[in-house]
Amino acid sequence: MTPARRERLFSVVLILPAFLFVLIFAFFPIVHSFWLSLHRIVLGLPGLGEPFVGAENYIELLNDRVALRAVKNTFLFVFVSTFFEILFGLLIALVIHERFKGRGIVRASVLVPWAVPTVVSSQMWRFIFNDKYGLINFLFFGGDVNAYRAWLADPVYAFVAIVVADVWKTSAFAALLILAGLQAIPEDLYEAAKVDGAGWWQRFFKITLPLLRPALLIALLFRTMDAFRVFDLVFVMTQGGPADSTNVLQFYGYKKIFAEGMMGYGSAVSVLVFLISFVVSMFYVRMIGKRMFR
Amino acid sequence: MKKRGAFRRIFVLLTLTLAIVVGINACKARNEQQKTVIHFVTWKPNIPEVWDKIYEIFEKENPDIKIEKQIGPHSSTAFHDMLTQKLKNRSTDVDVFLMDVVWPAEFAASGWAMPLDRFFSPELKKEFLEGPLMANTYKGHIYGLPLFIDAGVLYYRKDLLQKYSLEPPETWDELVSVAQEIVEKERASGNKIYGYSGQFKQYEGLVCDMQEFILSNGGYILEPETNRVAIADPRAVQAVRFVRDNIIGKIAPRGVLTYQEPESLDLFVQGRAVFHRNWPYAWKVSNDPKKSRIAGKVGISVLPHFKGGRSFSTLGGWQVGISAYTPNPEAAWRFASFLASERVQKLIALMAGKAPTRKSLYRDKEILEKNPHFTKMKDVFLNAYPRPRSPLYPSISEVLQRYLSRAISDPDSDVDTLAKEAKEQIEKILSLTRK
Repeated sequence: MTPARRERLFSVVLILPAFLFVLIFAFFPIVHSFWLSLHRIVLGLPGLGEPFVGAENYIELLNDRVALRAVKNTFLFVFVSTFFEILFGLLIALVIHERFKGRGIVRASVLVPWAVPTVVSSQMWRFIFNDKYGLINFLFFGGDVNAYRAWLADPVYAFVAIVVADVWKTSAFAALLILAGLQAIPEDLYEAAKVDGAGWWQRFFKITLPLLRPALLIALLFRTMDAFRVFDLVFVMTQGGPADSTNVLQFYGYKKIFAEGMMGYGSAVSVLVFLISFVVSMFYVRMIGKRMFR
Repeated sequence: MKKRGAFRRIFVLLTLTLAIVVGINACKARNEQQKTVIHFVTWKPNIPEVWDKIYEIFEKENPDIKIEKQIGPHSSTAFHDMLTQKLKNRSTDVDVFLMDVVWPAEFAASGWAMPLDRFFSPELKKEFLEGPLMANTYKGHIYGLPLFIDAGVLYYRKDLLQKYSLEPPETWDELVSVAQEIVEKERASGNKIYGYSGQFKQYEGLVCDMQEFILSNGGYILEPETNRVAIADPRAVQAVRFVRDNIIGKIAPRGVLTYQEPESLDLFVQGRAVFHRNWPYAWKVSNDPKKSRIAGKVGISVLPHFKGGRSFSTLGGWQVGISAYTPNPEAAWRFASFLASERVQKLIALMAGKAPTRKSLYRDKEILEKNPHFTKMKDVFLNAYPRPRSPLYPSISEVLQRYLSRAISDPDSDVDTLAKEAKEQIEKILSLTRK
């Protein structure tokens, strides 16, 4: 065996575990979902068999008003929540990047929301937005019980509530990624800028932001992908209601498969979620690739 | 050298441990071998003492059977997801399971539940109430033993009605005016009270509550006999509109749109609602001084109806089913029929306040002493109306929940159009079952 061949063989062996992992836990389920989505499978009616129906589920999906509303809700959720998460993440990162007394404690405590499991934090926010004993009502109206509002019963506020809960939880994660980017910016650039008489804002816009772009893009990628998968918040806080105002794609797919037993149709919804996030992530990866390796 | 000694010692220790473990398990296995294990899928009970006692009695009387419990989530929907997942995979760790009243058709059509005709004698059938038996029947075969029933009832503040010398309402219009009167006068004296509390969140309970309004106006979700979708008929639409215009955000706080049973009961036991719609279990809770501020001040009555209609309650409750894949049908039946037996139902009625499914128990003195409202409410239980029976009920329910939630949560909703949309969707689902 030539050393070159041995080296290739060795590299294959090294890659194999990761490759198998991706194959079994990512590739296979995706292909299988796609296969299921081409069939009509109704668990409650085994007598129907599992006929191959081609694109029928997808055609139905495009005409399903509830699904289209869920697509709209999902995109709105992704845009609004990632926007605020990156914004707050940047602010938090800038603060904890500065040197001040007790920075260690502040850095640690900023991460607390991120460490709480989403199911727990969703339950917590459900209490906070509760119409009878919720903190939000108390903050706004104090003891004036008759003015208390049922936030989660209102289509608009219920949507705002899940966005707030998501932003609260995951801004810290964005901050962490952005902080790493900040720390990679060499100090002497700022020194030089100061010598040249640049003010704080100038330094921020001319040095920090451009050099932070890769970190921002990565944070954006992670947050967008994660936001597309939103499920637990909706499951705990609103169950998609009131009147479908918080129904998102993942929750709709879950309902179709697990509550209604519509395996084929539900799989089509899952494939749609996959396709959307795939396209978006490809777009990000290309952008990041260009910026980073130019 | 030293190192090797250590290895040997570890090796000997490991072998010994292994031998002991294997030995113990072998002994255990021999003991268990004579016993048939019945896997019972159940939910986390509100009052676990009852169930501990039930298992204890059964295992004492049936030494050859061992009950292996599997506790699932308390929410019916979540429990359904877990149980069907197991049955779908033909799992052998399910022999006997609890079924919500709306599942038998689905479980029968999917071949998950075993038909019990060969065990269920006509004499035995006669001992059960008809409504729950019907709910367990699909295409002429019976698939479950009714364990206890639920039916929607109206609770009210006896003390407040007396204070203003008002009678419990018979029609929904009366309920609204009585509620308005009491709320107005009570609020004038600083009591922050609402008129009505019920379950209007987008979930299964919404279908139960709204079906009662629709039926009591002479409407239907599915017309009996013909199975025609009647949700967009004028009477059904009128009832939905009544709830939107007179209940949500009027006599009931807007918050009811986010309420399931516990939240709505909370409002009532805190003394902050005049009327409350719930299942029979709320009687015990609202009269428990430890959990309720209104213990002893609670009245119970049949739900109101609309003018020209009559009262209806939605049928709820739980059944015992046997998996079609059980290797031990005889033992499974012994356990299932024990659960639905008179003495176990009596135990559940006495300790947990659930309404039995056996006719004779409504004459039982002890039960009536503990649950005096059973006498008055017997007819309500007897006449409780089922939700549509279909193997695709979960899909039908999803459509109904979506429609009803949209119709009642927006004061300007176009109920007619929404109802027509829902009707079309349900017809489409039903057409699948005819294929």
